Amino acid sequence: MSGCDCEHARANLEELIRGELRETDCGPIREHLESCSECRDEQQVFEKLTAAVRRACEGPAPTSLREAVLGSLRELHAEG
Amino acid sequence: MSRSQTRETREARSELEARFTRDALPYLDQLYGAAMKMTRNPQDAQDLVQETFAKAFAAFSSFTEGTNLKAWLYRILTNSYINTYRKRQREPYLGAVDELEDWQLGGAESTTAASSRSAEAEAIDRTPATVVTEALNALSEDFRMVVYLADVEGFSYQEIADIIERPIGTVMSRLHRGRAKLRQTLGEYAKEQGFGVEGEPARESERKAK
Repeated sequence: MSGCDCEHARANLEELIRGELRETDCGPIREHLESCSECRDEQQVFEKLTAAVRRACEGPAPTSLREAVLGSLRELHAEG
Repeated sequence: MSRSQTRETREARSELEARFTRDALPYLDQLYGAAMKMTRNPQDAQDLVQETFAKAFAAFSSFTEGTNLKAWLYRILTNSYINTYRKRQREPYLGAVDELEDWQLGGAESTTAASSRSAEAEAIDRTPATVVTEALNALSEDFRMVVYLADVEGFSYQEIADIIERPIGTVMSRLHRGRAKLRQTLGEYAKEQGFGVEGEPARESERKAK
């Protein structure tokens, strides 16, 4: 018997992955995931979506910005 | 002020500046990333980050060492954005967004037939970053920020609630809706490109039905 049904697992999947559930609530959902390939696919989609968002947001700030920030700190320092 | 007092003040300031440079400055790239997601414009993003660091430095003596510096910086960034930039932008104020109809809330999984869900994961994986960026930028600002703070920065719901100064329920709702919308947009892109996803025709029918 799997820990809970698909509906419950899906509704809480995101919180489970993000570590937002109490440990006691995680057990039944993890158990369900082990036995339900559809919900595992859903988990895959969740994780790929997160990875895609991260990829899209990668990249350093322009070096000129770092210099500008340091410059304004020096100015503030000189005023102080 | 006597000369020795002046010297002490200067020394304290040097120390503060050294600590600030050591602890806060490493967040520059991350804050810029967040600023880009807020303003969607490199020049505004740079201005916003500069303003954030200036404000953070000015308030740094009151920051308690050992507490959550990253969340503190994001909060300054978010407040600066709301106070300075949001007013200027054309995008309407989205305070009412939580009252929007719940057509996205059922969970995005219902858009896709079960058999093609693994294909969907693969399709998302193959989506170019530029397309994901466009999809993110098309989200309403409140959704976009929460998705960014959770997915890219890995903040907890409570931390995000503190940063944007809204209840946790609002954070969760925005995150779920934002991601559902994103998933829908990427699904449509995949279908256009003809890779993988043979879902039902997205959500148009559902949306109209409501």
